[in-house]
Amino acid sequence: MFHIAFLVAAREYLENLKTKGFWFGIILFPLIWTAAIKIPILIEKKGVPTRYFVVSDPSSKWKGLIDREIDQRYQREVLDELVSYARRNLKRPADLAEWLDHWSESSAVEEFITKGGQPGFLKELEGLLETGAPLFSPPRRRFQSIPLPSEVPESPRETLIDRLRPWLKGDEKLQVENQSVNLFAAVLIPHVLRDSGATASSGAKKSSAEGNIEFWSDNLADVGLEQLVTESIGRELRTAAYQVKGMDAAAVKAIESIHVPLISLNPRKAAGEEQVGLGDRIRQWIPSVFVYLLWVAVFVTAQMLLTSVIEEKSNRIIEVLLSSVTPEELMAGKLAGIALTGLTMLAFWIITSMGVLWVNIGHGGGSGGGSGSVENIPIDLLNLMQTTWLLPAFLGYFALGFLVYATFFLALGSTCNTLKEAQNMMGMIMPILLVPLFTIPFIPRDPNGTLARVLSWIPPFTPFVMMNRVTGHPPMIDVFGTLIMLVGFVFLELLAAARIFRIGVLRTGQPPRWMELLRWVTQKA
Amino acid sequence: MSGDSWALQLRDVTKRYGDFTAVNGLSLSVPPGCIFGFLGPNGAGKTTSIRMILEIIRPTSGSITVLGSNSALAVRRRIGYLPEEKGLYKKMKAWAIVAYFATLKGVDSRTAKRTAFALLERYGLGAFAEKKSETLSKGMGQKVQLLAALAHDPEFVILDEPFSGLDPVNQEVLEEIVVDLRRRGRTVLFSTHVMSHAERLCDRLSIMAGGKKIFEGTPAEARAMLPPRVLLRTNQSVAPLQQLSGVTASRQLANGAWELQLSSGTDPQGILQACFEQRLVLSSFSAEAPALHDVFVHLVGDQAREVKLR
Repeated sequence: MFHIAFLVAAREYLENLKTKGFWFGIILFPLIWTAAIKIPILIEKKGVPTRYFVVSDPSSKWKGLIDREIDQRYQREVLDELVSYARRNLKRPADLAEWLDHWSESSAVEEFITKGGQPGFLKELEGLLETGAPLFSPPRRRFQSIPLPSEVPESPRETLIDRLRPWLKGDEKLQVENQSVNLFAAVLIPHVLRDSGATASSGAKKSSAEGNIEFWSDNLADVGLEQLVTESIGRELRTAAYQVKGMDAAAVKAIESIHVPLISLNPRKAAGEEQVGLGDRIRQWIPSVFVYLLWVAVFVTAQMLLTSVIEEKSNRIIEVLLSSVTPEELMAGKLAGIALTGLTMLAFWIITSMGVLWVNIGHGGGSGGGSGSVENIPIDLLNLMQTTWLLPAFLGYFALGFLVYATFFLALGSTCNTLKEAQNMMGMIMPILLVPLFTIPFIPRDPNGTLARVLSWIPPFTPFVMMNRVTGHPPMIDVFGTLIMLVGFVFLELLAAARIFRIGVLRTGQPPRWMELLRWVTQKA
Repeated sequence: MSGDSWALQLRDVTKRYGDFTAVNGLSLSVPPGCIFGFLGPNGAGKTTSIRMILEIIRPTSGSITVLGSNSALAVRRRIGYLPEEKGLYKKMKAWAIVAYFATLKGVDSRTAKRTAFALLERYGLGAFAEKKSETLSKGMGQKVQLLAALAHDPEFVILDEPFSGLDPVNQEVLEEIVVDLRRRGRTVLFSTHVMSHAERLCDRLSIMAGGKKIFEGTPAEARAMLPPRVLLRTNQSVAPLQQLSGVTASRQLANGAWELQLSSGTDPQGILQACFEQRLVLSSFSAEAPALHDVFVHLVGDQAREVKLR
């Protein structure tokens, strides 16, 4: 029995490995991963051009403030880039780990500017960089204010916006440093700003834009400048208001910067190590990632199984096979072959995902950021897999989850003559198959709640829900009870599927109705 | 012969699907080392019987012994099978298909691969051994499937309608393969509704119709079921001949010739003598034993027509 099933499984596995679809699926996943990490960074760095804007500020009070805020934020970006640059290119980054950590703090930017900004920082690094280190390339400025176009004289608001309209709509271009660029926005600040606090309290509605800052732009997606303007001016207005009320602005600022000193602790962790770090948060959420992988792998492979059975049936190979192997051997072989295909796919996905994380987020031995920092996510994940039941549970639930669905698809496939017929039958049960996917985000929030516990005891959902609860310390009754139930369910399902398979594979014509299937299962062999 | 000494024995085998009886009380004995023809019109129950012999489906009642075993699956390594509806794994290479089915029958993979290449070479498919089956012509694919059924050198070969879909040249090749199997002491059972193949190949045959066996024996015994006949051509009236005591019936065939059916024991020479005596001018005269085709039409013609009309 096992030898024949092994031969069937080997053929199934090797033939799947030869298909383009398999390799496409296997490679597509890490590519999507890489793209998901790289593309936003690339767009941020290269794709978004510097946004040029004009400010009309008759009171001359605010423009300088906006420019200072833009510069401050830009210097922060430069400093972050310099710190990464230093980590990558220092001869001995470990020696300067503390110094670099200091520059990573949010308050360090003012000191950075005082100490000469980028040139000053690079001077500090002289002699410490590896030979052949590339030159530092500063990030592109996100926003840059420019004077009004020469054709547009300073004028009252209504006239000004009419004159600026061709530039704002992109019909006219601006010349900045010998380059033709678009005008991103026009910020029109009134002479006197409306007192928003008073308006809100009186409940009065002003239909006119009088007293409002007007932000003119045809780009509604990029709200960065809009936020920057309101934040910087808002801060200044609040400081002025404090002074009017006779409060010390510096003291208020100091008070505003007070943060609640909170650390998260987990009583399940060893004494002295209870503090919750990034690794713990990952631990909480990583099962969800695995559940998603599980779901994709189970359904991709189960789909392969369906196609394979229908191919054998529609090509009439099944009859020759059944003269050489029993239906049970054929079923077992197909299940094993496809399961192996799924495991190969999963192993490849997991390894490449770790690799992608490693390459794109952290470099393992890099300095700075001990365990718990973003850069060490791959290491944290590896540690997590070694020290918890995550991987064994994942493999176990994959095997059982695969059997639950693959056996079902196998039986279904045996009753259909074409893929279209199978898809028609699948349509009716598809909503059930989607339930585990929808529950993914909810289970980790309350891994031992009523929803999680009830779903755990419904066999088609058990592998997914229990996998999602695996790091949430579920009660032993749930772990072993559902496991025994699931194994029993799979056993009964295999028996039922074998009966359907035996009759179904030789049947031609219309697929049976659900009631007829039930009769096949219940009738004596 | 005892049950064990037959290559195949069916005893009162019946298969019902609900109210429909596909095979009704079939009993059959196939001696080893012979070519056995399983004849019958479409819908006679041949394929159902073959599926039961191979234990792909189980009979409703009756018993089947194959190569001395009550279970074909227990002796599956000694059986080769080519089904009526032919098909191959489209993406697999020709040699891999032949080798795969051989391994399923217990041949080790190295031998299976070597045998696959040798068989493909011997039967003119050497150049296509590395081609995927989807690129082969229908005839080639059918040949590959036949080789897949034979690669493990089975003792008992069951071929369901093996000649359908083959061109005349490949039909001849297949006949040679079947004869070669018998020469090597193998037993071959093949189903067909083309009588010429059965006539040339079979040592014994069985004719089925409507799920029942209506004849089993040698081709000579089958032919003996119909009376002897003479065929003659003349421009004159054959009425005097119809009056002769040994002539039981006469009819004019579509080609203009006259067929006279004779009672058993009547000597055709006597009919020729009578022609001379009646001064009939003959352009041809021949005494012919009935063909298997005639026996088949005689036995199942009405039922076959019924099935066709349904």
